[in-house]
Amino acid sequence: MTLIPNSETDAAYVIRNAASEGKKLALCGGNTRAGFGNAAEPAEMVSSTGLSGIVDYEPAEMVMTVKAGTPVAEIEAALAANRQMMAFEPMDHRGVMGTLGEPTIGGVFAANVSGPRRFVSGAARDSLLGIRFINGRGEPIRAGGRVMKNVTGLDLVKLLAGSHGTLGFLTEVTFRVLPVPQTVETIVISGLDDAAAAKAMAAAMALPVEVSGAAHLPQTVRFRFLGGGLPAGEATVLRIEGLDASVAVRAEKLAAVMEAFGPVSRLGLEESQTLWRQIRDVYPYSDGTLKPVWRVSIAPSAGHQLVAALRLEAGVDAFYDWQGGLVWMRMEADPEAELLRRYIRALGGGHATLMRASDAVRAQTQAFEPQPDAVAALSARVKQKLDPAGIFCPGKMG
Amino acid sequence: MQTNFTLAQLADPHVAESEQILRRCVHCGFCTATCPTYVTLGNELDSPRGRIYLIKDMLENGRAADEEVVTHIDRCLSCLACVTTCPSGVDYMHLVDHARIHIENTYRRPLIDRLIRNLLAAVLPYPARFRTALGFARLGRPFAPLLKRASALRPLGAMLDLAPRSPARASDSAKPGTRIPEAGKRGRVAILSGCAQPVLDPGINEATLRLLARLGVEVVVPEGEGCCGALVHHMGREEQALDFARRNVDVWTREIDKGGLDAIIITASGCGTTIKDYGHMLRLDPAYAEKAARVSGLAKDITEYLSTLDLPRLEPKRLNVAYHSACSMQHGQKITMAPKNLLKAAGFTVRDPGEGHLCCGSAGTYNILQPEISAQLKARKVRNIEATKADVIATGNIGCITQIASGTAIPILHTVELLDWAYGGPKPEKIPAR
Amino acid sequence: MADTIRFLKPREAVLSRRAAIIADLTDLLPPECLVHEARELVPFETDAFVSYRRLPLAVALPKTTAQVAAVMKYCHRYGIPVVPRGAGTSLSGGAIPQEDAVVLGLSKMSRILEVDYANRTATVQAGVTNLNISEAVGIDGFFYAPDPSSQLACTIGGNIGMNSGGAHCLKYGVTTNNLLGVKMVLVDGTVIELGGKHLDAAGYDLLGLVCGSEGQLGIVTEAVVRLIAKPEGARPVLFGFDTSEHAGACVADIIGSGIIPVAIEFMDKPAIEICEAFAHAGYPLDVEALLIVEVEGSEAEMEAMLKAIVEIAGRHGVKTVRESQSATEAALIWKGRKSAFGATGRIADYICMDGTVPLGKLSYVLNKTSEIVDRFGLRVANVFHAGDGNMHPLILFNANDPEDAARAEEAGNEILKLCVDAGGCLTGEHGVGIEKRDLMRHQYSEADLNQQMAVRSAFDEDWILNPSKVFPLDGRPAA
Repeated sequence: MTLIPNSETDAAYVIRNAASEGKKLALCGGNTRAGFGNAAEPAEMVSSTGLSGIVDYEPAEMVMTVKAGTPVAEIEAALAANRQMMAFEPMDHRGVMGTLGEPTIGGVFAANVSGPRRFVSGAARDSLLGIRFINGRGEPIRAGGRVMKNVTGLDLVKLLAGSHGTLGFLTEVTFRVLPVPQTVETIVISGLDDAAAAKAMAAAMALPVEVSGAAHLPQTVRFRFLGGGLPAGEATVLRIEGLDASVAVRAEKLAAVMEAFGPVSRLGLEESQTLWRQIRDVYPYSDGTLKPVWRVSIAPSAGHQLVAALRLEAGVDAFYDWQGGLVWMRMEADPEAELLRRYIRALGGGHATLMRASDAVRAQTQAFEPQPDAVAALSARVKQKLDPAGIFCPGKMG
Repeated sequence: MQTNFTLAQLADPHVAESEQILRRCVHCGFCTATCPTYVTLGNELDSPRGRIYLIKDMLENGRAADEEVVTHIDRCLSCLACVTTCPSGVDYMHLVDHARIHIENTYRRPLIDRLIRNLLAAVLPYPARFRTALGFARLGRPFAPLLKRASALRPLGAMLDLAPRSPARASDSAKPGTRIPEAGKRGRVAILSGCAQPVLDPGINEATLRLLARLGVEVVVPEGEGCCGALVHHMGREEQALDFARRNVDVWTREIDKGGLDAIIITASGCGTTIKDYGHMLRLDPAYAEKAARVSGLAKDITEYLSTLDLPRLEPKRLNVAYHSACSMQHGQKITMAPKNLLKAAGFTVRDPGEGHLCCGSAGTYNILQPEISAQLKARKVRNIEATKADVIATGNIGCITQIASGTAIPILHTVELLDWAYGGPKPEKIPAR
Repeated sequence: MADTIRFLKPREAVLSRRAAIIADLTDLLPPECLVHEARELVPFETDAFVSYRRLPLAVALPKTTAQVAAVMKYCHRYGIPVVPRGAGTSLSGGAIPQEDAVVLGLSKMSRILEVDYANRTATVQAGVTNLNISEAVGIDGFFYAPDPSSQLACTIGGNIGMNSGGAHCLKYGVTTNNLLGVKMVLVDGTVIELGGKHLDAAGYDLLGLVCGSEGQLGIVTEAVVRLIAKPEGARPVLFGFDTSEHAGACVADIIGSGIIPVAIEFMDKPAIEICEAFAHAGYPLDVEALLIVEVEGSEAEMEAMLKAIVEIAGRHGVKTVRESQSATEAALIWKGRKSAFGATGRIADYICMDGTVPLGKLSYVLNKTSEIVDRFGLRVANVFHAGDGNMHPLILFNANDPEDAARAEEAGNEILKLCVDAGGCLTGEHGVGIEKRDLMRHQYSEADLNQQMAVRSAFDEDWILNPSKVFPLDGRPAA
């Protein structure tokens, strides 16, 4: 059964009761990201979908406050009507995870979900200004606020973002929004291998042209984008956004430099929008299978080295976002968690999260990167301070 | 910031002045960032803000100076980078001057320190004694490593290291008299011969005299002038410094009364900073206050004066010049553009070394009294200068010339030597043949 | 000295062992890394919040993470409070020590360890100044974005402690948005690393929590920060207005129009006069309010944005518009703005507030601020980051007059409460420190504060790290 409180007071009541009885709770929004994290102990579901609606939206201040269960689609529509957007491009996980339902904004922030623009404009957590949540004692807590700059007290906002419902039940979020760029263009460099692409992307990021998306789509995935419409060969794609006049100038400048790396072609507004949405949503691996999918965050220059090393020992398909720092990997069979994590450490650190896998694989694999002892102990103490009875999704994150 | 002085304390004009200076400080800490000793040692006590606080605490409590305070004040180079940086306009220069006088009056230094300071004060300001001392220094050089082993004797070792390898040549540049220009007279100035510079590098004033003569400027080398007093002033020896100042004020006043002076030309910016402060130093002396202020008003660095003469723009020479701005030039006198503009107009390619605001560690007698910090600053300065890949270094202060020359193979000259060459003088020997 | 704000009562057990503690620290640190002579401790008794002062027990100036760890381990073992210090530029008293505390200064750890252009990161020691990073990478076309006004002197460690912002945060975000990783010494001397050259946390976002924690969660000794390619060009433009209301409305309209300049700074007449006198930047002196709006990018982009902004300003009756014509002029315009606080020292002592309000409330809060300050018979100069609503009223007073100082403090408190009541917060970028500590209950409920304090305890059960700061002294969890 899923409990769906209709108010913050109800939610607090539900949680307070559960805490007093030591009853475990699985917190969720629209449940489209079900399957995240370690296979948790059985628990009663509490969904935020009963807490829905835009509370306050001041386009001129670029700030929106909504209840946590508000569908992302509703928010995007309201923003689009004012030509604004969430700059961190929250990914829609339904395709790759094979889930149904309606993603909620609470879920987006609880999982710190960010898309291609993250590596320049920040993650969901960077846009999140304030939250209300119910802690494990059933107390409503407010953290942060609705102004862009705020260093009043400890930043519990960041802590709750990406805590996957293990520290508190989000009831309301306030976040920063940005104007939708007037136009978008994408520069495509064709035929680069992974290493050459890494060099090209690093060169692009060093230019004063404000690239807002840098992805590399190897041969195995290239045909899945734009209905196979990308030029032949591997595609290294760079996005430029902004005012019409300025995009034209910057794209020209970028293309001129990129020609040294390989043949350059360009995509206009609509194709660009589609392409970057497909990259965001991990389109190539939205394949209806349960082949293990990893999401790896690593130093951009190390992404392709990681894949090259793995390829020698395992069946792996991969593509890169965030200039190579975000590697999406689909394993042919075994998840190879140990191997993968060993290479990540050898390449200077980062983390791998198992996004999708069969139940059998999930039961045997740490979904989140294991932490060094001291950090793990610290994290456990932090969790204990927010959820003393340990009722929120026990085992999911650690 | 808040201060705590009694009315009785404020009756002392020095204290009253310091109180006003302290009141301006808002303790923002900006000065720490550009202070050479803070950047080197990373200790607030060796930053301007820390010293201001130490001085404040000492003066407010009417305490004699003690070892701790003296250690940190002694480490101050008086480079005045903090004064350039300070947004609140804290007059650190006069505050630390006051502190040094207070130290000199209330603190008994260890014996060796006292002897070394007495030696410096008795020798450096007097060209004849200095010349003799340099002769001994050449003989003593083999002992420098030995001296540097005992910390108290390190200054003596540093002194020997700094002494030039070859004896100074004789020069007429400091001989009193009036130099009549070659062609039509367009001005009359006095030039400061000073003390250490004519001994260490008479070429600087020779170049100045040649250049001014060609430019139609009558130059007086007055009888009886001498050390500006900066050396002893920075040791806190107020009376000795004021005596030097009074003597020079008298000499120049005589010249002003005789034939009028457009300027008093100074070719060592360290001296320039002090002479420009004579008005302040002698403000409490009714017999001299006015005369001193007039002298200070006339004091000009050679580049300041040359900038008023509209020198013609020359064809570019293929010579890269790293311009090192002496602290007394850029922070003490706030002369930043004039020397570079003159060099550029004369056809040189001017390069600005990184961290140009940082002192080279010379700072009067600092490289003798604080050899460790001075050596670190010298190394840093040389690194920054060498990074410019310049052919020669130009600067406007003899102290910097001696200091930097001891750390790099790139030749270093006074700005005026390059200008003299560009405008028709002989090519300086230091410039490499190509 | 002002005395409204209390410090924790010194721990008797620590004070009575002073000599032994200093002897022990002498064993842990090289001689040049320890300050303990009475005279020499005095300059460490305060920071840029100079109204309050407390002598520390000793000052440790370690050169390595291992030394920091050794000091922490020792202090933890004996329950000795530790107050971290960067450059001591805090405007909220974040680095003011207390009688039983060891000041842990990071000023000797000031090296840039690595610059990695392929990954656009710099790895630096905590005592590196903010500006040093940008200077080190500027020649290669990069910069580090957060630019607090004290960037010349303030350290990255301090920036992390206070989650520092600056004028250009409107576009690039504050410290937390530009910080990728830290090496940190926990209270018991354990050294951990959070983050690195990769993005986002593997588990809980402890890095996000540490940023802005005012030295209460651990001692950051190294940081990995994000570098950004320098824009092709940047141009500040001065807009003078007859009233603050017009300037405020203009700001809201610029933001609302979908144009995000890199910076929008506001100065009122007193601030203009103070800054112009110092920097000679060419600020118009015949206006009541001045906006510095900076756009950046290619020539085409700057032209397009400026055109739109000038048009908006025109609708709000702008009186003067002046574009900077050269890099030198642009630098002077910023020099004036960034020296505003210090330059104020030329005319009076001041305390600087840091409340942030929603953009729509700027004019309202400005007017109310003048009312409050008038009521207390004081003067105020306003200079602040208008683009993100981060106000900085400078309340002018005479520090040698205790009554005046007390009035200034009281007026400041009222202004901060006003900011909170207007939907904002007590501090945007300076931190709570001691200055705003006792106002925390105005912004947060008891449960909110308890939750924050509980999380703090997860890092430092005995509350020895910077203990007198941030949280009101009463109602703290029992150790």
